[in-house]
Amino acid sequence: MNTIEQQLWDYIDGNLGATEVRAIEEKIHSDAEVKLQYEAFLSLNLAFDKIELDEPSMSFTRNVMESVALEPAPVAMKTKVNTNIIYGIGGFFIMSLVALFSYALFNADIKFSDLDFKINANFNLNKYMTPTMLYSFLFADLVLGLVFLDYLLRKKTVH
Amino acid sequence: MEQKFTDLMLIQNVLNGDSAQYALLVKRHQRFVFTLALRFAKNREDAEEIAQDCFIKAYKALGTFKQTAKFSTWLYTITYTTAMTFLRRKRLETSSINDEETFLQLENHISGFNANGYERQDSHKYLNQAIQMLMPDDATIITLFYQGEQSLEEIGEMLNVEPNTIKVKLHRARHRLKEKLQYLLQDEVKELL
Repeated sequence: MNTIEQQLWDYIDGNLGATEVRAIEEKIHSDAEVKLQYEAFLSLNLAFDKIELDEPSMSFTRNVMESVALEPAPVAMKTKVNTNIIYGIGGFFIMSLVALFSYALFNADIKFSDLDFKINANFNLNKYMTPTMLYSFLFADLVLGLVFLDYLLRKKTVH
Repeated sequence: MEQKFTDLMLIQNVLNGDSAQYALLVKRHQRFVFTLALRFAKNREDAEEIAQDCFIKAYKALGTFKQTAKFSTWLYTITYTTAMTFLRRKRLETSSINDEETFLQLENHISGFNANGYERQDSHKYLNQAIQMLMPDDATIITLFYQGEQSLEEIGEMLNVEPNTIKVKLHRARHRLKEKLQYLLQDEVKELL
């Protein structure tokens, strides 16, 4: 869609490059019909600029502030999720686990001969696949699905 | 006094715990948000409900606002989505009423004003009437571009559409608005503009 009308609007809006500006200016000066159309668009543009904004009721701000007062105060995301704190907590737990494991290893009387174990290959899967087990698994899946759906819908509502 | 604070400064104050500063943000943007809501709702009560809902949503999500963007663009995006949700809900409630029919009724109603001797109304009134006769999307783009002073890129971001598409839509919306003005004013349109 690149009619003369569109070009004139682009010229008025300032969306044209230098070459296109020169071309359209030439058309305006040489063609009386284009000039007339351009002048009409200019006045129309001026009129659109003058469209006034509507005013809400006098109590609008007060109503908003009354509703806002019932909401918890917003907190900047930066304050909400401080990565240093998260890393600090994670580091503390890892250090604790490593320390505990090292202490246990140091105090345990382990001989390498003790590690000589055999794997029981006669594992019967059917024994564990009971209907209760299956239902529990499906229930957990359903809960996870609902949590994910809730997360998605919340995200959509905010945006 | 309040103009001394930029939007970002006010947001920072609200996030630091001074919730009362939010009233200044509301006062600063309420006219535009309300006008935008009016483009969808077509009556003041519903528009006020949308605008109020929009400011509450913005307050709740203020912490997620990326302060690199313009607050107005972010706020108008919320207004647009809130208004769209409102319109969808309204359509479901009145599914028996055809949209075109509704706008036709509105058109007749407005043209009735002309016949009843409202010629004395100034150009602003006629322009507002003409814009009310447009479909919500056209009216929104015109309002965002002219009154909201949003660029094509910003409008595109808000409506989730490419800037080039917005350019074409704006062109069509202007054309339709011109037609509505001609319909309202007939021969007087040239004098008015």
